[in-house]
Amino acid sequence: MKRVNKTLITAMFLLTFLSGCWDIKDIDQRNLPLVIGIAKADNNEYKVTAQIPIPKLSGQTQSGPMSRIVTSKGESFSSALGQIKTNSEDAVDYSHVRLIVIQKNLTKNQKELRQLIKFLMDSKEIPMKAMLAITNDHIEKLLSNINDKLGVDSTSLYDFFNKGAGWAPEISSAPIWEVYRSLFSYTEDITIPVVDSGKDTVLNYKGAAVLKKGKITQRISPNENQLINLFQNKSAKGKIESVGFASVMVTKSTIENKTVMKNNKPLVYSDLNLKIDILERKADITNNQIRERLEKLTQKQFYHIFKQAQKSNTDIFGFGQYFRDQIPYDDLKNWRGKYYPKLKVNFQVHVSME
Amino acid sequence: MSHRLQIGFVFIILYIGLNHTIYPDLIFQLTNTGHWEVVLCQGLLQLTLIWIYIKGLSYFPGQDVIDIYLKAGKLIAFIILIPFVISLTALIAYDIRLHTEVIISVFLSRTPYWPVLVLLFFITTYIALNGLGTILRSSVFIFLIVIPLMLFVILSSLINFDWHNATPVWHSSFDFLMEKKFFYLMGFAAFLPLGFMAYKTKLTFGFIFLAWVCVMISFLSVVYIPLFIFGQEAVMTLPFSMIRAISSVDIRWFIFNQQTIFLALSLIGFTVILNAVLLWMIGRIMHKMLKWKKVKTSYWIIVFSIIAFIFALFVPSRSWTDKWFLWSAGAQVYFMIVIPFSTLICGFVMKRGRVSYEKG
Repeated sequence: MKRVNKTLITAMFLLTFLSGCWDIKDIDQRNLPLVIGIAKADNNEYKVTAQIPIPKLSGQTQSGPMSRIVTSKGESFSSALGQIKTNSEDAVDYSHVRLIVIQKNLTKNQKELRQLIKFLMDSKEIPMKAMLAITNDHIEKLLSNINDKLGVDSTSLYDFFNKGAGWAPEISSAPIWEVYRSLFSYTEDITIPVVDSGKDTVLNYKGAAVLKKGKITQRISPNENQLINLFQNKSAKGKIESVGFASVMVTKSTIENKTVMKNNKPLVYSDLNLKIDILERKADITNNQIRERLEKLTQKQFYHIFKQAQKSNTDIFGFGQYFRDQIPYDDLKNWRGKYYPKLKVNFQVHVSME
Repeated sequence: MSHRLQIGFVFIILYIGLNHTIYPDLIFQLTNTGHWEVVLCQGLLQLTLIWIYIKGLSYFPGQDVIDIYLKAGKLIAFIILIPFVISLTALIAYDIRLHTEVIISVFLSRTPYWPVLVLLFFITTYIALNGLGTILRSSVFIFLIVIPLMLFVILSSLINFDWHNATPVWHSSFDFLMEKKFFYLMGFAAFLPLGFMAYKTKLTFGFIFLAWVCVMISFLSVVYIPLFIFGQEAVMTLPFSMIRAISSVDIRWFIFNQQTIFLALSLIGFTVILNAVLLWMIGRIMHKMLKWKKVKTSYWIIVFSIIAFIFALFVPSRSWTDKWFLWSAGAQVYFMIVIPFSTLICGFVMKRGRVSYEKG
């Protein structure tokens, strides 16, 4: 009898403590923003726009908006986020944010951008897996475009940046934690995708902006960005390339890097192996001609970006990572200034047919 | 299952319960390169102490540390064990507080501290009250449930690895040995409870060595996962770097996309076992030292858990927790040196005494 009582009391305790209902609002009383836009307002305030899907009630017909746009302003990003919470009738839960779009006017100030990224990283609510993107458009325009064309399905936005099935190989993706890492890293810079609101599609991919310690140093086109992705070992599978007299599809890509350090002069031998499938060609064009042309084009493209990057001391390809074990750690912080301008890259493309 | 195997499991659980929070952060502040050297140095020093400890204990089969000290004299027992109890109480308080902070930052962001603390203390005290047998048995269960989860979490983090981040691999000088932070680092060890469990079974060094190897692997993974993901330059700026590293993992097609929650939940299991063992040690020490007939071991455990709870509740801020946790870990280092050596000396002296007595 006594034993039964004990068990009963314990069970009661567990009931009270393990219900998991502390200050929790149910899912129907929560707003879950999926996309957040950040911009600088005219009076130097932060303007934060959130796109919040409205769940459809059962029995409701298709008509009516499926998501809405909420905007608020504040002296800092966090206060603007707080404003949205205050003004919202339901609890706002930022833990499902998938994409954060930053308007171009905010990226001009290096200090502010750094601060913003640090805040996003430290925030307990916003997941550090969320993707970052930059837009030239007005945030509201972009978000309402998402709203009109996608509505509740705005998760597909995330798929836009996520590698995996159906991913276009020229798109770069930059989750918050990777951008944060590049703010501190001695030897690696990062590219952030630039998107505009499209006419027919939701987003229009405009290439990428190169971020060096929180400062944008260079813009690169989608085609060029693909090369950078290749160096980060993201596959270029499915990429369609036009070489003038033919168009080919890349079916497999691998890259091998060998590094040498000679009297403080870094040297990289880079070998890109592409396997291609010829989709169409003009008459009388041999395989060899296509191969040579593609090799030449890709090499030219690479040296074009590399020269530009070297001029602005930005290591977008992450070559510095390969030299980390060849330069003493205390000297690594001089990689961008001292070693990188002297870096020579021997880039070879080897194309083979499927 | 044999007691020896259970003790091996507990040994591993105690270590892993300690090393997920501040331990990697300390390493990153201590050195920029060659992190494995620091981990290995600390591990080898601990292994030496463990060897001495087991050697000392082997002079007294079937007895635990408290019996040994009581044999050597009540005064010695008081001088060594009462401060030990105080430091253990502090360690329990700040360890639980630290894990509360982890839990809140990972998945209970709106909950205040005290309900989480109450819950943790309630479970911990309950387990400790049931005695060593229950702790050992439950630790087997928790071990078998949690270790696969942890392995999964570690494997899933592989997708974010950049192997270059861990280079340079070598660290030429050993100047970190003289730093204060290395001293704190030594405090992240949990071999002292072995001496209190020694009455259950005879401990052999070879067996503990196997457990130590597992522990070293866990230490290295805790340090190298954040390092591979963030790189030394960024990881230095991140508190709780291991947990941060895991939350960067995004496997969307997988049903369990919230790896951080998995990690935090498994840590709760380990923390509860760790603190239950410490509380049980306190109860045993107090009960054996002060032989008031009416006071049962369980009363002592309840009293000290309440004291620890009050300590944990009235910590004003995060920086306090970190500081105090480090201090209580530092205090542990003192006992880690004193207790093994004194048992060895006791054993040596008493053996010689016995020999000469038998001769005479």
